[in-house]
Amino acid sequence: MTRLTALLARWETFLLLVLAAAVITGAESSHYFLTSSNLSIAIAGAMPISIVALPMTLVIITGEIDISVGSMIGLCATIIALSIEAGCSAPLAMAAGIAVGALAGLVNGAIVVFGALPSLVVTIGTLALYRGVAQILLKERGVSDFPDWYQAIGFGTVGSTPIPWSAVIFLLFFAGFAVYLHRTRYGRVLYAIGNNRTAARFSGVNVGCVLIGVFVASGIMCSVAAIVLTAYLASARSDTAIGLELPVITAVVLGGVNIFGGSGTLGGVLIALMVLAFVQNSLGLAGVTPEEQQIVTGAVLILTLVVFGGATKLRRTWRGLMQSWASE
Amino acid sequence: MSKSADTISAPASGMRSGTIGRLLHAREFRLAIALFVIGLLVTLREPRFLQASNLEQVALSATLVCIVAVGEALVIIARQVDLSVGAIVAMSAFVSASWLEANPNGPLVLVFLIGCGVGLAMGAGNALLVALFRIPAIVATLGTLAIYRGGVIVYAGGRQISATQLPDSYGHIAEIAFLGVPILVWLAIALTLVFGLIARFTQVGRNLYALGSNPEGARFAGIGEGRHIAFVFLNSGLLCGLVGVLWGARFGTVDAVIAPDLNLQAISAAVVGGVSIFGGSGSVYGAAIGAVIFAVLQNGVQLLGINQFWLQAVVGAAILVTVLFYSLFARRAEEAERMSRHQAKRR
Repeated sequence: MTRLTALLARWETFLLLVLAAAVITGAESSHYFLTSSNLSIAIAGAMPISIVALPMTLVIITGEIDISVGSMIGLCATIIALSIEAGCSAPLAMAAGIAVGALAGLVNGAIVVFGALPSLVVTIGTLALYRGVAQILLKERGVSDFPDWYQAIGFGTVGSTPIPWSAVIFLLFFAGFAVYLHRTRYGRVLYAIGNNRTAARFSGVNVGCVLIGVFVASGIMCSVAAIVLTAYLASARSDTAIGLELPVITAVVLGGVNIFGGSGTLGGVLIALMVLAFVQNSLGLAGVTPEEQQIVTGAVLILTLVVFGGATKLRRTWRGLMQSWASE
Repeated sequence: MSKSADTISAPASGMRSGTIGRLLHAREFRLAIALFVIGLLVTLREPRFLQASNLEQVALSATLVCIVAVGEALVIIARQVDLSVGAIVAMSAFVSASWLEANPNGPLVLVFLIGCGVGLAMGAGNALLVALFRIPAIVATLGTLAIYRGGVIVYAGGRQISATQLPDSYGHIAEIAFLGVPILVWLAIALTLVFGLIARFTQVGRNLYALGSNPEGARFAGIGEGRHIAFVFLNSGLLCGLVGVLWGARFGTVDAVIAPDLNLQAISAAVVGGVSIFGGSGSVYGAAIGAVIFAVLQNGVQLLGINQFWLQAVVGAAILVTVLFYSLFARRAEEAERMSRHQAKRR
């Protein structure tokens, strides 16, 4: 019984209810919603954000934040575009993009750790810096001479099934990140750092090293997202993924990760990503423009937090009442 | 090295109290020097920088960000953050411009009241979520940023209100000058001074610093956390509402997507101005100087004929250099304090 109530009181369970509500309202409002092609489109469109949400979860669990993800994607897209313009083959261009992503993440991590600076401030700085470098390098050009197989990463599907290739990539990374975070010692270290950095250091954790690693992971995953996004848009520009940090952080927070670090699960983030993707898709089917959809995204974020906060408070009051009643 | 140790430990021991000495070591003074050096470098390459008309443009482009940054600085000092400022400015600007379009003969005072009312209402939304529902400010204002920005986009419906649709008296607000300086600049200076004095000398202001540096201690000292958090968000909303009205007057054209990264600009100005992102330290004046520094950098890039694409990179580099400098400085201060404590123990 207690295990059941503990399960019911979990954030993820609550999110599943929200997800069910989103799917039911989606299916009610449009009969296209539950078709496999529509779901495939909804999922493919959400993949760049989802791919970046994985490392963002790790970053936020350690108590840091990475605001520069949108700009890192823009920078990687620019590098990929320049490499292809220079006549490199697509795999080489992808490798160059990943290398630059790793480097950008390394710079973020190194400044945060060696400068002993708050990551919010550092990554606001690199947000401007990386986007600026991307604009200097590529100016206003857009590059779109990608080979067909490259574009298939964006909206191609596996064989005749409706599963997008980008979703396969995401699921592989999701499995890797989930095992790392929830099934290894190293994952526990991230929670330890987020809960109490001093205690983690005294327990022999090299906090600086771990933080740099987390930021590098963020940079690398941004380059993967850049590949998927440029393939999806069939074009690479310096302004690719402007403002992407906000939906990513929204998804991670909605997924139940504490913004101050130390708690949260990747499972919750996965459900939150699906909630956001389906809500946006059903709004799109109803003819709501993406700019107007952000009202609903923001409202979902705030309402979920308010309702869950209220529910937790109610439960505590209820438990307190029961205890005082039992003691009498 | 020993000299810097001396000056830094001085305020703590209260040995050195000359007004000039303190002024020379204030962070704002160093910032002003940095601003002066940047201005000098730009002038050396391009003397047009010092022309009155150019300086007026720099001042005007600094004012709007400056007023928002002043509100944001108080929010950050209280260990909160407001990401929704740009969206509030856009909503206030559009609501007041469309009211003015419908009532071209309406009194301008009423436009200001409407704009400030819109800002205050949106600030109240933030205050409610953070102070009452206890949602972390960064998350709550991330949500309201989306809601407010989406709201103004729906309300505007893709429409744009340009200067020709608005009465001339509105646009004149940006042109009125007093002692040769635009009245908007005077307004920004006055607001900076007023809020600087409030933060430094009033009980509310001191409470904000207390809450920012140690929320738990402040609570035990009987400082009402909720009231003060509500105050900073209402205040930030009010200032954004005011800036929204001025935005339309300054730029003439208003649509739903104005001020897209004003939140990052305001936070950067505050941080570069020495406000700690963890709350509890820094000043409103620093944030205002930070806003001016960014305006000068932007103007410098334009004047020197540097490709406009470089602007963002320059801004990013400026933020990183300043915060790295602060971190270096803070570490030296820490070491100096440790050394002086060590010496005191020996004695």
